[in-house]
Amino acid sequence: MTDITKTPRTKMRRSSKRSIGNWIVLTVIALAAAAVVFPFIIILLNSFKSPADYASGNPLTLPSSLYFDGIVNFWNRVNFPEKLWNSFFISGMVAVLAVIISVLNAYAIGIGRVKGRISLILIFLLANMLPQEVLLYPLYSIFRAIGLYDNVWSVIITFTVIQSAFGTYLLASVFGTFPKEVLEAAALDGAGRWRTLWSVVVPISWPTLGVLMVFFFIWTWNEFLIPLTFLISNSNQTVPVAITALQGDRLMDVTTMSASALLGMIPTLIFFLIFQRTLTRGITAGAVK
Amino acid sequence: MALQRNLGLLGIAALAVTITVSCGAEDRTGETLKLWHYENETSAMAIAWNEAIEIFEEETGVPVEFEERSFEQIRQTASQVINSDEAPDIMEYNKGNATAGLLASQGLLSPLDDAVEENGWDSVLAESLHITSRYSEDGVMGSGSWYGVPTYGEYVMAYYNTEMFEEYGLEVPETIEELEDVMQAFVEEDITPLAQAAAEYPMGQLWYQLALTQADRQWVSDFQMYENPVDFNGPEISYASETLEDWIEAGYISADSTGLTAEDAGTAFINGTYPIFFSGSWWYGRFIEEAQHEWDTFLFPGEGMSPGSSGNLWVVPETSQNKELAHEFIDITLRPEIQAIMGNNGGVPVAADEADVTDEESVALVENFNLLLEQDGLAFYPDWPTSTFYDDLNAGLQGLVNGSLDPETMNSQIGADYEAGLDEN
Repeated sequence: MTDITKTPRTKMRRSSKRSIGNWIVLTVIALAAAAVVFPFIIILLNSFKSPADYASGNPLTLPSSLYFDGIVNFWNRVNFPEKLWNSFFISGMVAVLAVIISVLNAYAIGIGRVKGRISLILIFLLANMLPQEVLLYPLYSIFRAIGLYDNVWSVIITFTVIQSAFGTYLLASVFGTFPKEVLEAAALDGAGRWRTLWSVVVPISWPTLGVLMVFFFIWTWNEFLIPLTFLISNSNQTVPVAITALQGDRLMDVTTMSASALLGMIPTLIFFLIFQRTLTRGITAGAVK
Repeated sequence: MALQRNLGLLGIAALAVTITVSCGAEDRTGETLKLWHYENETSAMAIAWNEAIEIFEEETGVPVEFEERSFEQIRQTASQVINSDEAPDIMEYNKGNATAGLLASQGLLSPLDDAVEENGWDSVLAESLHITSRYSEDGVMGSGSWYGVPTYGEYVMAYYNTEMFEEYGLEVPETIEELEDVMQAFVEEDITPLAQAAAEYPMGQLWYQLALTQADRQWVSDFQMYENPVDFNGPEISYASETLEDWIEAGYISADSTGLTAEDAGTAFINGTYPIFFSGSWWYGRFIEEAQHEWDTFLFPGEGMSPGSSGNLWVVPETSQNKELAHEFIDITLRPEIQAIMGNNGGVPVAADEADVTDEESVALVENFNLLLEQDGLAFYPDWPTSTFYDDLNAGLQGLVNGSLDPETMNSQIGADYEAGLDEN
């Protein structure tokens, strides 16, 4: 991974002239970025419009005056800080727990090379490939039976399992390429399996684990169907579920919906910006030299 | 002295007895009524129901534990929640075979027949509102036990921009010919008269309305409750599809409407792009708030039936711990004073005294609904018969609007879809 990303970068710095190929790549990237930003712009534009302002123009016109009622209404109506805390607690717990489980699984599969590891990995992948709709009824019966229905832990457990399945798959292949010399050195120094894991493997793969944690957090944050189904009380709900509170049977309030989407997006954006450095480090690091 | 004291003691004892007795009958300490609904807090329904909650708490002394739900959440999770300990004692739920009917047929809703009889709800509510409240064992509306009670109604009417009508010297049409003349007058001024949206429900409701002008009550029962097979090449549906095609050709409906949603059509009426919008009473409150011109409404010409029905229902889950209390609450929401609150806030009450509705902007809405009820004119919605007919009908109408289907082909196509949908039911 390191080699691929690093070589072209150094090359680019050396040659001051950009080839046609470079320009094409640049245009494609710029277009892709514009396509990604477009929904954000729509949301931003409409979050600050009054409903009448929205109706008189179209979704792309600039607001004629700044209107904050949509945001304030949504904030108060769904008790947003409570939803924020729920989402934060659930996503945070899932991110940490799923990474721990992934590391333990992957250590056994990738470095421990247990028997039947290919089939094990395939089974783990299944958890990710199953559509969530299939999981709903079995999970509903289980959580009702053990009394976790309408409890945030039902969602935490479900997503810890789903995310760690993916984490196991990914980490197992990363650990599969873990330099043997390092492990042998650790063994020579008298480290047992447990010690090798925590003092050698984990610190070295820390950047990769960081990336996983960030992704698990954001993925879980954006989940909708399972939280919607299992978190019945308003006081347990997450941000994406709260946003649907505004969608009516036949009518929708576009401006307040935009405002809610904006509020729902900001936390993940902030989280992403904070851990942005972890992400880039995780992608470029990973091997030991 | 002794006698007096004894008398006094007796009095106290008697008082104590009455207190205990009354406590015995009304001992509701520790009970709560768990209530869910999904109406926006500024809507007429929520305003009226909030008042009902206060009256209920005052009269019974039982606190109401109200949680506002989202429509989406109830739609996706109702059958699971209702089957668990988290179920509410009473909740709002969508009427229709695929929603309330389905839950009733699964035994998840508690039948309300005794409460209906006891409180006389069947005489408070007009006959045509009973249909969506009663479901058979298979979950088909129209017969069987009562499973829900509506407290508001809804119907489809024509909204029109009075400023534009005045500008061109036009009058409210009283026959379909007059309506066509009005639309022709707008077309001659280069204005498309009808705000329409074929991507969502508005076009289907206009189509159904046109069919209703040629139909009788039995045809509606056949179409909605499967009493007899429906002939999709019969006079009712042929008239609807052919008239719609004529209107599209004459320019009364824009060909662009294939890709438009109800929201687009509604906002285009609000900002005065189109002078006439044929749609439901659910827009009424929003137009009062947002319309940038004067407007009024009229029922579709012809004094016949229109799309419409009772609103959503109060249902009592089978798992409800407080069925009696739930019935009491339903009864309060049907009281004239609560119904009047609904009527005065842009809602359509089902049991209001017209004299109590004093809000000028709302009077016409309530009067027209009552007129429809008198004419036995609530004909439900075109997408109700099967779970897939909404998409089938929209696909057919989009073909008609963009010219890829002629009326006859469209009728056969949706007729086949309808049959296929019935087989699945």
